[in-house]
Amino acid sequence: MKDMRIAERTVDSQTSKMIARGVQVHYGTTHALKDVDVDILDKTVTAFIGPSGCGKSTFLRCLNRMNDTVASARVTGRIELDGEDIYDRRVDPVQLRARVGMVFQKPNPFPKSIYDNVAYGPRIHGLARGKAELDEIVEKSLRKAAIWNEVKDRLNAPGTGLSGGQQQRLCIARAIATSPEVLLMDEPCSALDPIATAQVEELIDELRGQFSVVIVTHSMQQAARVSQRTAFFHLGNLVEYGETGQIFTNPTDPRTESYITGRIG
Amino acid sequence: MSTPSSLYVADPRSKARRRSESRFRLMGLGAVGLAVAALVFLLSSVLGNGLGAFRQGVITLDMTLDAAIIAPKGTDPEALQKVTTIAYKRLLDRELAQDLAAKGLSTEGLSDKAIAGLLSQEAPAVLRRMVLADPALIGQPIRFEALANGRVDGFLKGRVTMESAKLDSNISPEQLTLATVMRDAGMLNLSFNPSFLTAPDASELRPEAAGLGVAILGSAYMMLIVLCISVPLGVAASIYLEEFAPQNRLTDLIEVNISNLAAVPSIVFGILGLAIFINFAGLPQSAPIVGGLVLTLMTLPTIIISTRAALKAVPPSIRDAALGVGASKMQAIFHHVLPLAMPGILTGTIIGLAQALGETAPLLLIGMVAFVRDYPAAPPEGFFDPASALPVQVYNWTTRADPAFMERASGAIIVLLLFLIVMNAIAILLRRRFERRW
Repeated sequence: MKDMRIAERTVDSQTSKMIARGVQVHYGTTHALKDVDVDILDKTVTAFIGPSGCGKSTFLRCLNRMNDTVASARVTGRIELDGEDIYDRRVDPVQLRARVGMVFQKPNPFPKSIYDNVAYGPRIHGLARGKAELDEIVEKSLRKAAIWNEVKDRLNAPGTGLSGGQQQRLCIARAIATSPEVLLMDEPCSALDPIATAQVEELIDELRGQFSVVIVTHSMQQAARVSQRTAFFHLGNLVEYGETGQIFTNPTDPRTESYITGRIG
Repeated sequence: MSTPSSLYVADPRSKARRRSESRFRLMGLGAVGLAVAALVFLLSSVLGNGLGAFRQGVITLDMTLDAAIIAPKGTDPEALQKVTTIAYKRLLDRELAQDLAAKGLSTEGLSDKAIAGLLSQEAPAVLRRMVLADPALIGQPIRFEALANGRVDGFLKGRVTMESAKLDSNISPEQLTLATVMRDAGMLNLSFNPSFLTAPDASELRPEAAGLGVAILGSAYMMLIVLCISVPLGVAASIYLEEFAPQNRLTDLIEVNISNLAAVPSIVFGILGLAIFINFAGLPQSAPIVGGLVLTLMTLPTIIISTRAALKAVPPSIRDAALGVGASKMQAIFHHVLPLAMPGILTGTIIGLAQALGETAPLLLIGMVAFVRDYPAAPPEGFFDPASALPVQVYNWTTRADPAFMERASGAIIVLLLFLIVMNAIAILLRRRFERRW
């Protein structure tokens, strides 16, 4: 097991990038998330683990206000990005999402060329002046997402023609092309085979140098492998949040221990 | 089961299942067969009746355009305008008699009037138009293909027989005998009839001259209006309802009503059009603008329903993806959702247009059923000129007494069906072209 690497892991940064306080989410009459307090540290990989339906994806989607698109969802509490409340009335969620990017569970490239997939974000945000600069952003993003070598000769081929793992890396390239400060990943490896998973995990570790990464995962091994900090959710509650090593080797809450040893979940 | 059974022997249950499956298959085959048979019957009856309309009996005359008859006061345009079709008829009648004599064809027992009766009453008008368009022809020998009378045309096509002629006050068996002789001499034959597509409608007495020109123009103008109004309006409304509108009682009510509108009988839209566009807004009767607006109202629900279905069918992951990279809602819709929904939208639109093209009832109410012989002007003025429409023309012709109009009506149905086939083909092509996998 690669879990042995836990011991070597340290948290480099102590500055908080995002702070959540008392976040509650209701879907209609369902109380999906109860009073969650989490600090997302800068340049750190934070993993959210927990059984299905525990609210971890819901919380992730609160961080860039993707829940706004769900008509019945109601979010209360306070979430700050660099000290600014993202649920403030003055905040345009579109602007927020340019800074807090997202990668989804199922690879969802646009049915356009590989190039256009990556260039779309920079284009709509006006990040590139001219074609050369855009080319550069596209190449850099694809390189960072470790897919450049596979697609550099067919940038005009449709993104939907790639394999599942390549598509997911393309989606990651698309997400980092707008140079977000936080990257949210909702079970990015659930549709991938072990090799592609390993590639994406390696990638996450590299991305940590530039942004905070928040990853929701069902695989505890994955959480242990890639994250520095782990939050355990259960039935809409944040049960425990701390350094990954501590959560996995020495959990304080009995529920956490039951989950990571496989007794509940 | 207590006793182990062999797989080689079907147990009663699977036998019953197999029987019911084969029964179902047979019923399905029967239904499809019935539909195909009905279609074949329809097509063969329409084609059998209507193809004749594209060929018309003509009498070929080698004649001289005698200036003494058709240009007694000189050949300047104004003087020529004053010469009526009566003079041209006199010329044609004389030339026909001369031609018959020159070819040695016997006209025994036939009066001059009966011989002239072989020609269509429209023939002098055609000749007059020809001369007015090119006065230099006057005095020249020309070969003129004069339209034959509708009964003679019917005789060539087998619709009129010696027996029916005995009972017919418009034609006699003797005339038909002459027609047979002329046909054998090569003077009278069936030739391709482009004026069926270009000529305007004609009166009861000259079915041989009736054409679809005005009806095709009227239908084309109306389709143009429907396309220009209902597509932008329908697509915009569906995008708003599907993507932007809040989900509440009001939008539910609107949705239910749109579905209801799609099921409203078309004649009701005609009454609405009559009340609003003609009586209230004061638009002219029989005009393509009113027809187009009424058909737009009829087409809108179809377009809205199919567009909304197409928008719904776009996977939500595409919207998420676009919003996730920071696209605004509008950008997500216009850059990603709409292109993916395009095939569905186009299909719905063209089906709506095809429906509108074949719609008759509402047009009857707004006066498109009028007898129109003048072509409408070019758009946009032409939208306000009286015109006919293809399906109304079919209806109109089927109500007339002369059986020659039955052939015309079937011919018009063929033209209408051709337009519909072309439109559906375009829909399929566009769908193939825009279809993308995700």
